[in-house]
Amino acid sequence: MKFQYFAHTADIRMKVEGNSFKELMVAGVLGMANILKEDICDTEDSFDIKSNIALKATDPTCLLIDFLSEVLSHSYLEKSIYCKVIFIKLTATDVIADIYGKKTIGFDEEIKAVTYHEAEVVKTRGNTWETFIIFDI
Amino acid sequence: MKINKQDIIKKEDFLWEIPQTFRPQMLVPARVIASETLLDAIMEDRSLVQLVNVASLPGLIGASLVMPDVHEGYGFPIGGVAATLYPNGAISPGGIGYDINCGVRLLTSQQNAEEIKFKLEELSKEMYAQIPSGMGKGGQINLNPKEMDEVLTKGAEWAVDNGYADKEDLAYMESNGRLDNADPAMVSEMAKKRGSDQLGTIGSGNHFVEVDYVDEIYDPIAAEAYGLSKGQVVVLIHTGSRGLGHQVATDYIREIMAAMPNYGIKVPDRELACVPFNSQEGENYFKAMCAAANFAWCNREIISWEVRKAWKNVFGADVDPLKLMYDVAHNIAKIETHQVDGEKLKVLVHRKGATRAFGPGFEDLPKEYKHIGQPVIIPGSMGTSSYILAGANRSEKISFGSCCHGAGRKLSRTAAKKQVNAPVLKEKLKEIGIYVQAGSFKGIAEEAPIAYKDVDEVVETIQNSGIAKKVAKLRPMAVVKG
Repeated sequence: MKFQYFAHTADIRMKVEGNSFKELMVAGVLGMANILKEDICDTEDSFDIKSNIALKATDPTCLLIDFLSEVLSHSYLEKSIYCKVIFIKLTATDVIADIYGKKTIGFDEEIKAVTYHEAEVVKTRGNTWETFIIFDI
Repeated sequence: MKINKQDIIKKEDFLWEIPQTFRPQMLVPARVIASETLLDAIMEDRSLVQLVNVASLPGLIGASLVMPDVHEGYGFPIGGVAATLYPNGAISPGGIGYDINCGVRLLTSQQNAEEIKFKLEELSKEMYAQIPSGMGKGGQINLNPKEMDEVLTKGAEWAVDNGYADKEDLAYMESNGRLDNADPAMVSEMAKKRGSDQLGTIGSGNHFVEVDYVDEIYDPIAAEAYGLSKGQVVVLIHTGSRGLGHQVATDYIREIMAAMPNYGIKVPDRELACVPFNSQEGENYFKAMCAAANFAWCNREIISWEVRKAWKNVFGADVDPLKLMYDVAHNIAKIETHQVDGEKLKVLVHRKGATRAFGPGFEDLPKEYKHIGQPVIIPGSMGTSSYILAGANRSEKISFGSCCHGAGRKLSRTAAKKQVNAPVLKEKLKEIGIYVQAGSFKGIAEEAPIAYKDVDEVVETIQNSGIAKKVAKLRPMAVVKG
């Protein structure tokens, strides 16, 4: 599971990869957390807050983007950054998950939105899952 | 899809066209307002591909357009204008953007640059203390649910009613700082909660509060009408609807994308998701967008209150008050009447990174500006000039009464960070009399002048295209960033 950032004229382009769709979803959450506050998820410690997300979407790409958008909304609402996801249910179009976050005073960067632009979840020939995600900054 | 120079026809000096025949899905031509030098630069990213995609939206009329400050966005290009036939043409949240009613306003002082230069450092620190960035921290005001609904309904008027501003300010805002179609019931609880502590906050990215002085006057009559004089100190404020607007856009893009099949609409990019304006989903979004726009106007009004407070703290309680010259939106959709192919039509104009620029005679202007045209405020970048223009009637003919909104980015944030040593830049700016207060050095590097196009060339192109005329040039003295 990994995330990498690439250049975009005004925003942030991130590539996420995982050995499964589940890993891809987690990579997306961690990559986004790292934009909000660099390295915040690098340390394994206790979490201050737990939130629940339940979503349905038309396809895996929409499910990933909508899931990240929900995580982002909770981040702003709770002034927390989410680093851990426990999936209760995950299919290609349906997710129920508990997310665990750390309270923080201020973010490094403000993400306005997780966009659908360029997002396309694909399973590669090497059996890994990947997509690009553009964050509106 | 690749667009080559030979695909583009020169219609006039500073007006270029990709004909409708370029791609079968295009309903109208795609047009670019730019000098040839800027056009060549624009072709380096995917702005024009995105512009061509926009030309295929249902109900689009005239042409899809971009301004000289255009750059690649996510779906719609930033710096674009798209008008659809009212009431059954498309409304697309992506054509407005996530930061609904991101905009800019200018406050004028009665002081000149020489008078305040010895207090600049103190002023920039005081402004930084008074104006929260709000990035995960919140601002000075906490709205309860009733107050939130009032802000969403009344816009800047809420700030007046609650003692944060004088009523006089309202006359100097686009739409008087309030869109009457707003309906708070169309805004999600999540959006309202996110916005509840964000009034009076600027956010991060390219948002700022900046103290400038008037460096040059190009049109003395227009400058006098706008209350501008050489050497005068002014304040620019650039921000939008914060988390509330971001959430409204997120909510409705998701909803509208799901509804598109019901209307047989397919788009080449999910971020272009749209529905007919007069559909239930379209009307609901428009009402929510108007509410978020009202939140943004109220936000800029509260920030003005914070700036005015900082001003008094530094210059004394007796200092002449800062007066609002004008406030313009550059991420918005509005129902307007325009001439299209010789016919007067009611249209929905999407402006994403584009400023309304109506010429002389327009009814919605303060009486002292009516013979001049609408003020258009073009911020440059930290360390470069900004401009005040006056909208001209030619904008009605070629750009649905619209103009550019800034210099336009040319470097990615990543590239800017690689090329700019932020602490050194901050010191260099200080040496030339520009004080920068920012939340991080990363933010300074990302927004460095090198990351932006040459604003002088962008504005010169606008002037030569005839859609607006230069009134005054501003130079920065102090910049506050999130």
